Amino acid sequence: MANISLADQLEDAIERMIAEPDSVPPAVDFKISELLGIAAELRLLPDRNFQASLKAEFLGRNHAMPVAVDIETRSQSSQQRQARREPRLDEILPTLFRAGDGTYPVRRENLAISAAIHAALLVLVATAGFWMASQPRFAPHATTVLLTEISADPLPLSINETGGGGGGGGGDRDKLSESKGRLPRFAREQITPPVIVVRDEQPKLPAEPTIVGSPELTMPPTSQIGNPLAAIPLPPSNGTGFDSGIGSGRGGGIGVGNGPGFGAGSGGGMGGGVYRVGGGVSAPRPIYDPDPDYSEEARNAKFQGTVLLWVVVGSDGRPRDIRALRSVGMGLDQKAVEAVQKWMFEPAMLEGHPVAVQINIEVTFHLY
Amino acid sequence: MKALENRNLENQNKNEERLQVEAARHDPVRFAELYENNFDRVYAYIARRVLTREEAQDATADVFHRALAGLPRFEWRGLPFIAWLLGIAAHVLSDRWQRGARRREVVDGDLDQIGVEDDLERRAILYQLVDTLPPDQRHVIIQRFVGQKSLREIAIELERSEGAIKQLQLRALQNLRDRMRV
Repeated sequence: MANISLADQLEDAIERMIAEPDSVPPAVDFKISELLGIAAELRLLPDRNFQASLKAEFLGRNHAMPVAVDIETRSQSSQQRQARREPRLDEILPTLFRAGDGTYPVRRENLAISAAIHAALLVLVATAGFWMASQPRFAPHATTVLLTEISADPLPLSINETGGGGGGGGGDRDKLSESKGRLPRFAREQITPPVIVVRDEQPKLPAEPTIVGSPELTMPPTSQIGNPLAAIPLPPSNGTGFDSGIGSGRGGGIGVGNGPGFGAGSGGGMGGGVYRVGGGVSAPRPIYDPDPDYSEEARNAKFQGTVLLWVVVGSDGRPRDIRALRSVGMGLDQKAVEAVQKWMFEPAMLEGHPVAVQINIEVTFHLY
Repeated sequence: MKALENRNLENQNKNEERLQVEAARHDPVRFAELYENNFDRVYAYIARRVLTREEAQDATADVFHRALAGLPRFEWRGLPFIAWLLGIAAHVLSDRWQRGARRREVVDGDLDQIGVEDDLERRAILYQLVDTLPPDQRHVIIQRFVGQKSLREIAIELERSEGAIKQLQLRALQNLRDRMRV
């Protein structure tokens, strides 16, 4: 009971002390005066939550550390104080100030990797100048020049517009090659093909043998009709070709070609090839001319040179019969040919009509 | 012999504290150790001179923030670190009083008095002893003085009678008194 009485007295005194902290301590039993003194010192007992939250501020954390006490209330003034205080540097840049060390442990391996990368970059930057000086950078490329062989020779006149440079051939499947001789007269139209060995002695409609070509073209007269390019005049033979005419070709002409003209080629006229630029024949104009690639072999060998190509540009504007007249090797010839094969031209024109012409293309491969 | 041991222990503590100060000067996070070691004494010094818990907490926080900011300028002169902190606390209180804060009249306002230091240590020890009380007694003390709750409110919270809470409060204070005497 005595304890109850002491407890009551103590509680009354504590209640009064808390309610009126400035008041004079009441007169109490000497047995509890010392306890009341302790209670007075406990009146402002520190709140461990406050202590923990303040510590958390120093550690840069926003939450209070766990503590044994579980006081729910937090003083309003402390909240106001926290609200009005200015942000510290470690709150703005927590990583820089290592404020989050407890939450984000340092990973040594990451640090080592980062240091290695930085060191490698520094070495690279430091040696870049030397490296560039010792390894001159080059961009190999090629330039192309279109060369047109302008010929002073009289040009073959094309009668058949699709026949290009003309030409013809024939024969009657003889075992012997055709005999050498003169050309017959050129005519716009052919009625009777020329022959050396006459198979039909009495034709129903005799006519002068001619070959198709410009009537203005004349050849020195000789005694016997034949192929002027043949090796020997005898024995007489129409040649190994067929479809009448003379030679190894076909079609009523003379020579190795195909048609009623003379020489190589087809369609009539005198030729054996394509036109050359000049004398009324315009030069073809490239409209699609991609540069050739550099060959890997030449690039590695730092090799450069100029390839000269011989090209026939057809009346359709497509190149054909491409040959390297001057090669440099190292795979550059093939690269040049491959590139020119892809080209497209505006074809050469003669009297308003597209004709096939031969040209030269010079491809120069440069390293620098 | 015992005096020699005490002196050795004191020197050891000084050296340890000096190392902590040096560490905190290079790494502000290490200031937390100094804070933990000195919080109760700083708070006790301030609590004795202010009227409310809020004032005590605000002033204590100011002291440690100023200490952290001024740590690079701190010079070790042989005095314990708490002396420097209490000097800051005195300035903090002075500033607050100049701004019109209410002050608690204390007889012993001079820090250099030996009695004041003893009282400071006594209060700090008392605060620490509260944490060593049995859980129910500690709970009652904390709710009564920190939470400012009445015995009835604590009784309802703990589902016990008001009389039982009153007895717990009495035994807790008796416990603290007995431990303070040791």
